[in-house]
Amino acid sequence: MPPLDDVLLAMPPVLLAALVLFDRHLVRACSLFVLFALAVALTWWWLGFIWLALLEILLGAALTGACLFHALGISPVGGAPQTRLTHWKDPVVLTWRRGLGQSIPALAALGMLATALADMPASDSIAATRWSGQVLVGLGLWAFALHRHLLRRLLAFNIIGTGIFLVLMTLVGEAATAAGHGLVMTGLMVALLGTVLGALLIRRLDTLDAQRVVGSESGGGAP
Amino acid sequence: MIERLGLLVFQPAQPGSGWAVILLVGLPLLLGILGAICRPSRGWPAVFLGLLPFMVAVWLLQRVREHGVQAWVLELGSLTLHWRADALTLLLFMLTQIVALASAAYAPAYLRAVEDASKGSLVWLWPLLGTLVTSLSLIWLAADLLALYIGLELMGLTAVGLMLLPGRVEALAAGMRYLLLALVGSLAFLMGVTLLLGAWGRLDLVGLAAVSEPGPVLWVAMALLSGGLLLKAAAFPLHAWLAPVHASAWTPVSALHAALVIKASFFIALQLWLVLVPDAAVAARLVGGMGAAAVIWGGLMAWRAAKLKDVVAWSTVAQLGYLLLGFPLLIGTASVAADIAWEGTWLQLAAHSLAKAAMFLAAGNLLLATGVSRVADLAGASRRFPLSLLSFGIAAISLIGLPPSAGFTAKWLLLHAALAAGQWPWLVVLAIGTLLSAAYVFRVFRYSFIEDAPLHDYRPVPWGMDLIALVVASSSLLLGLLAEWPLALLRLAGGAS
Repeated sequence: MPPLDDVLLAMPPVLLAALVLFDRHLVRACSLFVLFALAVALTWWWLGFIWLALLEILLGAALTGACLFHALGISPVGGAPQTRLTHWKDPVVLTWRRGLGQSIPALAALGMLATALADMPASDSIAATRWSGQVLVGLGLWAFALHRHLLRRLLAFNIIGTGIFLVLMTLVGEAATAAGHGLVMTGLMVALLGTVLGALLIRRLDTLDAQRVVGSESGGGAP
Repeated sequence: MIERLGLLVFQPAQPGSGWAVILLVGLPLLLGILGAICRPSRGWPAVFLGLLPFMVAVWLLQRVREHGVQAWVLELGSLTLHWRADALTLLLFMLTQIVALASAAYAPAYLRAVEDASKGSLVWLWPLLGTLVTSLSLIWLAADLLALYIGLELMGLTAVGLMLLPGRVEALAAGMRYLLLALVGSLAFLMGVTLLLGAWGRLDLVGLAAVSEPGPVLWVAMALLSGGLLLKAAAFPLHAWLAPVHASAWTPVSALHAALVIKASFFIALQLWLVLVPDAAVAARLVGGMGAAAVIWGGLMAWRAAKLKDVVAWSTVAQLGYLLLGFPLLIGTASVAADIAWEGTWLQLAAHSLAKAAMFLAAGNLLLATGVSRVADLAGASRRFPLSLLSFGIAAISLIGLPPSAGFTAKWLLLHAALAAGQWPWLVVLAIGTLLSAAYVFRVFRYSFIEDAPLHDYRPVPWGMDLIALVVASSSLLLGLLAEWPLALLRLAGGAS
């Protein structure tokens, strides 16, 4: 049984991730994502990876958060969102049946992962972190399959990535810490660049979409 | 198999070769930045400067021929990265340079002719091209999983960026799908690497080959790694993103992507299988079955496709199927079959790269000149654009696999390997694939040779663009005649060290 303080520390990322992925309001989901990244940074610090905690705050919370808000059209100067994007509902309605159906790939991936990890027993101090990482991967995969909204999929991608980093750093021993750091840093950079590209794309698509709507409205109103 | 990949090296690297590798990796990046500053309006400066890394590769190849495989360890604190250069690596590098040079020479004229090239996307084209070539070089040279991961991610993100440059809604929507799939693929790859690192505590391929043991960890890790890579390589059930992405991308970018980017994922996957699970014959046959399905399904879809670019894109799916046949022929087979399949696979890779790049360039010329995108609207093209159709036809000879092209030699070798390994079902696949590729190519020709078509307006393409397509197409034919030279080098890599 892992110690209670480790379990308590592993809980906030998981709870926040669930809220991020399934909150209906996008601005709130993005704000929660920043909190999630800070909670993960706390976990890194607790595990003794100071550099990763700092990188997580810088890349994960600050820059990724900025990208997400940019995608929503929120800026510190301009204030409220100008676009219709925040009110986008998922084009596909969420039903219980669909929700359960889409959880199958996530459960299959989790099953594979658990089979592989069963051969590598974790000590008590890191078991809670490893479990939280696996739950993050599963939740993220489920949300990725479930949602069609681009921004929600980017959020899901970031959360799967974080889950993999947590599992990774609990797996590497003393000898391979440098390799683990290298992988996580590359992974963080990739996640950030992917989010930047995705956010720019969402904004551009939204602008083009708005132009088309305006164009069709004026075109329809003329005759 | 591991010695064929140039991974087992005992002697230290030659002095000076380390600098050559830094030049190989760094020069394309520098040239890309230079391109962003100068924004060349003609193709020849790009070709002239782009020849520099090619010369370095030739010099290094000479070194490898004399002294055997060169290997380096880059130490960053306690982190070590392993690199190696053998004949296969350098041949792939030269192939990369040739295709990239053709694209770079084609791009300035193309961008002047195409309307939707905004100034911002013109600035971005060159550094992205340079970064793409650099990341490909990293992938060819890398001998450990961290370096491979860095190269793969750099390549994936750059490729997405290049696909987005046209900036139209269709390009952006296709690019968004591509981005999400590429990111999912990289997560699967990272998870596989994580498991390998957790189980055996190291990432260099030689070390992993020595210490890894069969078991659930290895199988799950290989499944994740292969899944991610095959998704990025557009292998059969995971290919749906390819055609929409190509349909809206710029022609030189499409050529580069189809010729090299998906090949790099295939290269990593095959390398990992040969190193980590060299005896997994059943799983390899499963991949071979996917390849067979790709050959048939891709061929059928190319035959049915309405748009010319879709024909070429679907033919990429089919041709990649032939490469996947390399898995069952190389893994778990006797060395007689594996020797032949080894040569056949790499020759097929090179032949398809050159032929597909040429075909995309020729198709791009036709599209630009006629202003239509459907195959059926090409009626009468034979009289007006004989040169573009000639390039298209020469490239098609290699894709179908008619002698004397490199595609013919490669398929002949694969056929021999299948016979030697006793896996005759692949013969049927090769035969059906040939018929289907002939069908989709001749469908294009049937429409373009309609003589009594009404005269549409068209605008002539600059002769340089036609010339580049023709040169690349002829090189795929020439490679078939001179195939002995690269094949001898590949054998050297297998035997000498």
